[in-house]
Amino acid sequence: MIPVESEASSKDGVKIIYVAKENILQFLKEKKDEGFDYLLMITGIDYKDHLEVVYHLLSSKSGERLVVKAKTDGEIDSVTSLWKGANWHERETWDLLGIKFNGHPNLKRILLAEGWVGHPLRKDYPMDKKQYVNLKEDGDDTVSFEKKEGY
Amino acid sequence: MQDKIVEVNFGPQHPSTHGVLRVKVKLDGEVIVDAQPVIGYLHRNAEKLSEMGYYPKAQIYVDRLDYAAALNMELGFVLSAEKLMDIQVPDRALWIRMMMVELNRIASHFIWLGTHGLDMGMLSPFFYCFREREKVFRILDEITGSRLLYNYFAIGGVYSDVTPKSLEMIKTWLSDFDKNLTEIENIFKKSYIYVARTRGTGKLSLDDTISYGVTGPMLRAAGKKWDLRKNRPYLHYDQINFDVPSQQAGDVYARMLVRIEEMHQSARIVAQVLEKLPAGDFYNKKYSKPMLVRIKATGESYIPTESPKGEFGIYLVGDGSAIPYRFRIRSPSFANLSAAPAMLIGYKIADMTATLSSMDPVFGEVDR
Repeated sequence: MIPVESEASSKDGVKIIYVAKENILQFLKEKKDEGFDYLLMITGIDYKDHLEVVYHLLSSKSGERLVVKAKTDGEIDSVTSLWKGANWHERETWDLLGIKFNGHPNLKRILLAEGWVGHPLRKDYPMDKKQYVNLKEDGDDTVSFEKKEGY
Repeated sequence: MQDKIVEVNFGPQHPSTHGVLRVKVKLDGEVIVDAQPVIGYLHRNAEKLSEMGYYPKAQIYVDRLDYAAALNMELGFVLSAEKLMDIQVPDRALWIRMMMVELNRIASHFIWLGTHGLDMGMLSPFFYCFREREKVFRILDEITGSRLLYNYFAIGGVYSDVTPKSLEMIKTWLSDFDKNLTEIENIFKKSYIYVARTRGTGKLSLDDTISYGVTGPMLRAAGKKWDLRKNRPYLHYDQINFDVPSQQAGDVYARMLVRIEEMHQSARIVAQVLEKLPAGDFYNKKYSKPMLVRIKATGESYIPTESPKGEFGIYLVGDGSAIPYRFRIRSPSFANLSAAPAMLIGYKIADMTATLSSMDPVFGEVDR
């Protein structure tokens, strides 16, 4: 059994469990074996002094839901070995929040162009700085702060 | 040239991708050996935009996620926000909401059915579907004042009451809806070419479906009877009789059957709401619009709803101010599309349009 740091409950009555970030892969594996076969989404929250990764689980047999959270400073283990769908969710969390998932097979930006500076959902992201995406000769994206022909 | 793998770029501007989807395909002859979807062309970061304004202001961005079913998107947001703020909603508003999302579900499935036929080389169902969809839009226009993006649900109720004229319109529309839909259904089912191209194409096993987090009609077509309206009822779905369709095959043809049956069931729900619609207020008079922007909220909430594409909900985290601290959109199309490689690899390139359109991705929602 993996130790649970603390427990809480959300407004809609779903249990929230905090786990240490070292144990997250092992803990989610336990939960998956217990019947939580669905990983609905992975997301992150920027609390300025630390980041949190949030996993929403669902058991398709009993309909039970569970929220698992882990505090991190920017790195956590990937769960792509447990759920195939975690791949895109982790890429999105890396793209928008800058949380690194160790062991991810293809941790690249998914929504923004490769080469984008910063992670927009961080609370300290500069909203007044515009970045422009241009196409290189071979079709790849480049990002620059000056407006060229691109968008 | 033998044994040579050819790379083909499919999209981002292609008529059968239903938006700006690009798929990097590797081909061995005609057979797909690798397919990687590339998304993000419609990205505008609705999450960040919503985290910059008061709670009610986020609704305009939510509307534009799945623009084919805007009311279903709004429902996910208002339910989550009401739970976070502990706001009670009058009974009549709940019933009106239920009727409206089912009407919008029918409109969304019609646009899918029409364009799916178009992708498979059938022109006539497109016109039939848009004719039927137009009738739904007339009703939605009469009630909300808009045709595509409504901004009709509000935190605490709905913006305007249904008029007697609109109820009459719904009754007239319901009287021949099933007949018209069956007519369209038969065009698909009796087309030899359509059946031959879709049976056994784009199969996704139930294990893969669950592993990829795929929900909605695609899950039901893969053999699992799972519908949040039945399994975790919200609004008043527990007081209504309807069936959850399901198929075992998990291919493109099964998805078509499931969606068409869902439309029949949605019409059944609308008919029952008309009978049961109670009198009373259509919004909570305690919370006027200027009042709503001042409500402070703490804690977190996530209310899952069954949108036409699958499980949709908004994960809201409040920090005690009137602005959401975290606004995460669980978008069904995003998860469904991530399963695309599993459905494409091993099939021929000609099956690709069938498979991609059977997923019903809407890119406002995938890219957010």
